[in-house]
Amino acid sequence: VSHKTHKGQIVKIAAGAVVCVESEIRGDVTIGPRTVVHPKARIIAEAGPIVIGEGNLIEEQALIINSYPENITPDSEVEPKTMTIGVNNVFEVGCTSQALKIGDNNVIESKAEVGRNVILTSGCIIGAFCRVNTCEVIPENTVIYGSGCMRRVQTERPQVKIPCFFKYSSIFSSSIESTGTLLHSF
Amino acid sequence: MASLLQPERVVYLVRGEKKIRAPLSLLYFCRYCSELRSLECVSHEVDSHYCPSCLENMPSAEMCQLFDCPCCMHTLSTRATNIPAPLPDDPTKTTMKKAYYLACGFCRWTSRDVGMADKSVASGGWQEPENPHTQRINKLIEYYQPLAHREKQERDRKKLARRRQGMPLAFSEKYGLGTRLQRQRPGGPLSSLAGLTLKEGEDQKEITIEPAQALDEVEPLPEDCYTRPVDLPEVTTLRQRLLQPDFQPANASQLHPRHKHLLMKRSLRCRKCEHNLSKPEFNPTSIKFKIQLVAVSYIPEVRIMSIPNLRCMKESQVLLTLTNPVENITHVTLTSCDEEDPDDINSSAKVLVPSKELVLAGKDAAADYDELAEPQDFQDDPDVVAFRKSNKIGFFIKVIPQKEGDADVTVSFKIRHDFRNLAAPIRPSEEGGEGTAEAIWLTHHVELRLGPLAS
Repeated sequence: VSHKTHKGQIVKIAAGAVVCVESEIRGDVTIGPRTVVHPKARIIAEAGPIVIGEGNLIEEQALIINSYPENITPDSEVEPKTMTIGVNNVFEVGCTSQALKIGDNNVIESKAEVGRNVILTSGCIIGAFCRVNTCEVIPENTVIYGSGCMRRVQTERPQVKIPCFFKYSSIFSSSIESTGTLLHSF
Repeated sequence: MASLLQPERVVYLVRGEKKIRAPLSLLYFCRYCSELRSLECVSHEVDSHYCPSCLENMPSAEMCQLFDCPCCMHTLSTRATNIPAPLPDDPTKTTMKKAYYLACGFCRWTSRDVGMADKSVASGGWQEPENPHTQRINKLIEYYQPLAHREKQERDRKKLARRRQGMPLAFSEKYGLGTRLQRQRPGGPLSSLAGLTLKEGEDQKEITIEPAQALDEVEPLPEDCYTRPVDLPEVTTLRQRLLQPDFQPANASQLHPRHKHLLMKRSLRCRKCEHNLSKPEFNPTSIKFKIQLVAVSYIPEVRIMSIPNLRCMKESQVLLTLTNPVENITHVTLTSCDEEDPDDINSSAKVLVPSKELVLAGKDAAADYDELAEPQDFQDDPDVVAFRKSNKIGFFIKVIPQKEGDADVTVSFKIRHDFRNLAAPIRPSEEGGEGTAEAIWLTHHVELRLGPLAS
């Protein structure tokens, strides 16, 4: 596990994770093994720590942010809440996640937005460009799709993409030689 | 303001069977009749069918091999998985076999959701479920065919008795597509029942069917009908239900995929002179037209450019633009509508149009590239013409709103321009010079919606 302190922030990255230096990670963030964080992804822990589990895929321009709720200023006394993200989740390109609790095997598709009061259980798929801002627990295997955020329950989960991890780590390590960026972990 | 350029602001009147007011971009121009035509005064004919996702032409009898997702109406894709299956010779050993199923990439519906078994062939194995009422409907159609035929014969016999001239028989088929002589009226017979008439001279068998029987007892509702909690993911939406009108399943577990709906290319034909107004290319990948007689390429277009604050009973100047779509110089005269004009029903303001003739330069396709071109000198009156730019001019009209209230101020006037009919044969002139086409003068009634009064 390597630590990096920068202006009083602690980022803990487990051995076996692949985190690109191009990504922006601020605050108290813990990243589990076999998680891949692509360049230009942003993980910002403002109002509390973020704990990310194993095997997650956080693609480019994805934003995972533990921010203050809108009507509360940072000065007033608010207990910091930890944002927990489980295993094998996929955060596709350009999505935004503020959900405090995300389970396993969920997929948040491109440009989707998940609000702070949503709790994703497991196997949920938030479709592309869908905004979910309700205050609820999304049941397992729910698919939210379409411009009207229609919902249905899927009976099959797509298989977890474990082999992709090795592909990404080889892509990123080969891109180091070409662009000279630094890889942070191991 | 971009909203002033909206096409619905300026409408042209089409004098057809019905009087229709539509923006010029939606109208067609029959250059043989020299009249504007709208979609309602032309006849629509189907040219060809094609599948929108594989862009292939389909003869109308065939069905595309693709399916639509019953849940979100997206196109289904075929996915393959490997399943262990016993070898045919040795049941104890298993080997990996490919099994195919349909899946939707958008809503993640799969064919396994409704219990459809995986198929072993990649395409062609999928069937739509049979409708239990098909047999009964087929029998009813068979029964009605001879009746319709008999009716048709009687009607034709009566018509022949009345008409003495040698006119061609108007085939008054009850369940068939009309020929060109009998155009398909709106609300006419469905084309799916086409070809149901018997051929002449076929034996007319007497077919008997049993009439439908009315039952006294109906299946009672289940006892927990009112108390059972509704399983929302299982109930189909109205749209999903009505897209399958022959089954209308109430449960999501009965939603079977349907064959993909084909789209069709249609051609439009003027009803008076039978010439084609619009004929698309046969190739589904091509968006061009073989024949495209749209109004914007023949008739000068009026557009609103700027409106000052409009006040009731006060005169204001409105700036309009007029664009010339043809390549020769066009002369346009505007006249305001008379007091008792039957077309002038919508206007709520008086309008004073310029009395002089406006001259529009021809549309020069190379004008964008030729910067050294000398602008033609037209001697414009600055009170009337605000600016001139290649084939477009801006001109002023004076508007005096007459009515108070929140309704939009509308004005109307007549626009008269010369039109050179290139479709007509050019008469060779006797001096041996170039023969130019005859110019005829066309008049259109234009209505503009200028917006509400300034408060």
